Amino acid sequence: MSEERVSNLPAGSGSEDMIARRPPVEPIPAGAVPVLEAANISKGFGATTALVDVSLKAYSGRILALLGDNGAGKSTLIKILSGVFPPDAGQLLFNGKPVTFANPADARERGIATVFQDLAVCELLSVTRNIVLGREPQKGFGPFKLLDLKKAEDMARSALHGLGVRWERGLDERGANISGGERQSLAIARAMFFGSSALILDEPTSALAVRQAGRVLDHIVRAREQGQAVILITHNFRHALSVADDITVLAQGRVAGQFRRDQVELDELTDLVARVG
Amino acid sequence: MSNGENASAQHSRRVVYGEALRRFMLRPEATSVVAVIVLFIVFSALAPTLFPTRLTYISIMAVAAELGIISIGVTLLMIGGHFDLSVGAVLGLTSYVAVVLMRDFGIHPVPASFIAISVGGLLGLLNGFLVVRFRIHSFVVTLGTMLIWRGVLIALTGGFPMTVAIPQGFKDAMSGPLLGGFRMSMLWFFAVGILATVLLVRTKFGNWVQAIGQNANAARNLGVPVERVTILLFVITSSLAALAGIIQVARFASVDALRGEGMELQAVAVTVIGGTLLSGGYGSVVGTMLGAITFGMIQVGLVLAGAPGHFFRTLTGVIVVGAVILNTTVARRMANSKPLAGFKRGSTDADAAIKAGAEVDIGTSKSSTSASEAPR
Repeated sequence: MSEERVSNLPAGSGSEDMIARRPPVEPIPAGAVPVLEAANISKGFGATTALVDVSLKAYSGRILALLGDNGAGKSTLIKILSGVFPPDAGQLLFNGKPVTFANPADARERGIATVFQDLAVCELLSVTRNIVLGREPQKGFGPFKLLDLKKAEDMARSALHGLGVRWERGLDERGANISGGERQSLAIARAMFFGSSALILDEPTSALAVRQAGRVLDHIVRAREQGQAVILITHNFRHALSVADDITVLAQGRVAGQFRRDQVELDELTDLVARVG
Repeated sequence: MSNGENASAQHSRRVVYGEALRRFMLRPEATSVVAVIVLFIVFSALAPTLFPTRLTYISIMAVAAELGIISIGVTLLMIGGHFDLSVGAVLGLTSYVAVVLMRDFGIHPVPASFIAISVGGLLGLLNGFLVVRFRIHSFVVTLGTMLIWRGVLIALTGGFPMTVAIPQGFKDAMSGPLLGGFRMSMLWFFAVGILATVLLVRTKFGNWVQAIGQNANAARNLGVPVERVTILLFVITSSLAALAGIIQVARFASVDALRGEGMELQAVAVTVIGGTLLSGGYGSVVGTMLGAITFGMIQVGLVLAGAPGHFFRTLTGVIVVGAVILNTTVARRMANSKPLAGFKRGSTDADAAIKAGAEVDIGTSKSSTSASEAPR
């Protein structure tokens, strides 16, 4: 609950070092097929045009940062990617094949997990129950199935462990009692544990204090190491530069620039967003 | 030396008891337990020869059972984030259905009861459908259906009571005497209470109900069929109202146009006394059962204490308001209190409940700050 926000970091603080220390980005291997691809997507709402001819590719084991100011079309794009509504024009491809998602559940079943900033956790359910929510393990038979609480706890533990989350508190802690960073980590761990291959993270660090944001970024890196295709939506350039492999900048519904992280400087990104915006 | 050990053992026992009390006070059932104990002491003092007798307990449980069965449904629904004001009217209309089937069609009470409960289920289905399909607040939807079904019932009965001959066996099974003089309805009440508790805390469905009451969007996002669960909750609630109606039909061998009127609000009161949050997401069936017993104690106790009839409503109102104050203020203070020495801060239920309530304000102010901090 610190008042300090990551975007207010003074120059020369930790995340600058983090950017400087990052090794160069591996190029995308020739012939690699993106896990999730948007090809020439357009979307409008009545008289408003939200997206025009937007294309992007998310590869397994890479983090694609989607940068843009408020109103740039980021949330419209992720809603299309996660099946909330279809594009007006253009095509989504999943593992190279054209797909249309009937609804978010459809996208999720194919392995596209979206973690929305404010939709991660039920406040009064335990950590365990939050993690298994919607996929509760059961025992018994017929109509007499009961929750398998022991198994649920094992699942929760291995989900958190798989992401390398050091969970110092009990798994029976209620959602309201865990921090914002822990919520994001929990949601990411949950998505991966239940078999996502593409992770869409909507502003996972925007409401977090510095240290918590750092921990969540660590977990995002861990997700990449485990082969997830990560799309990281953010308006924090430093966060994008510190973890992303590829960067796409959206401005006024169009792609304003696409870079490999080591081919672009912080100033350039800032200019790009500021100029168009 | 043994003295010293004794002292430390005593100390730690006091801490343990203190901590146990602290934790108990954080449970949703705490208020209703306190209400039951306080009322018992008060009424026993006011009517020492009449109140603490078995006959009184039997009467209390008879009142608590019928109201309790309805309230358990209302509790599950409220935990899922919805209200049902139509339960009283559904009780009346389904009782009418049962009576007509038995009297005019000569159907045996058992199948007649099943049909009446199914009709109740259908009325619940309609409530649920209206809420889910048109996204209207359940308070308004069920206010409407309450008026509709009550109107229908008045029209069908012509405003007159209808009597029916109930076979003794069926009467005994629903509300007849039980071992020790208690009524069968108490057994139904306990059975429904146990089933509802298991459903709420030990099944997938129960987990979904709680999740929907807390954060319906999160639940939907994780694949919980929010609409289906909501509709099913309304079906359960109305079916339980119908079951309570059957018990009353068996007891009175009649139905009248005003049967069940007012029970919808009593059920809400019982649920609130039982510690369920009005905002949903959190509550206890056991608390509701104790809340229903509280109601029975007031109703029976006031008569035995020789109080005028209108006291019933007044005292009930005082207890409802008192319960809500106790549930929020006292519990909040208790939640902020530190665990006693030697205990880690545990994940106590109401702890989180209260914090969640308090964080609503913080949450909104937080999002407004981050919105104003547009990137440079």
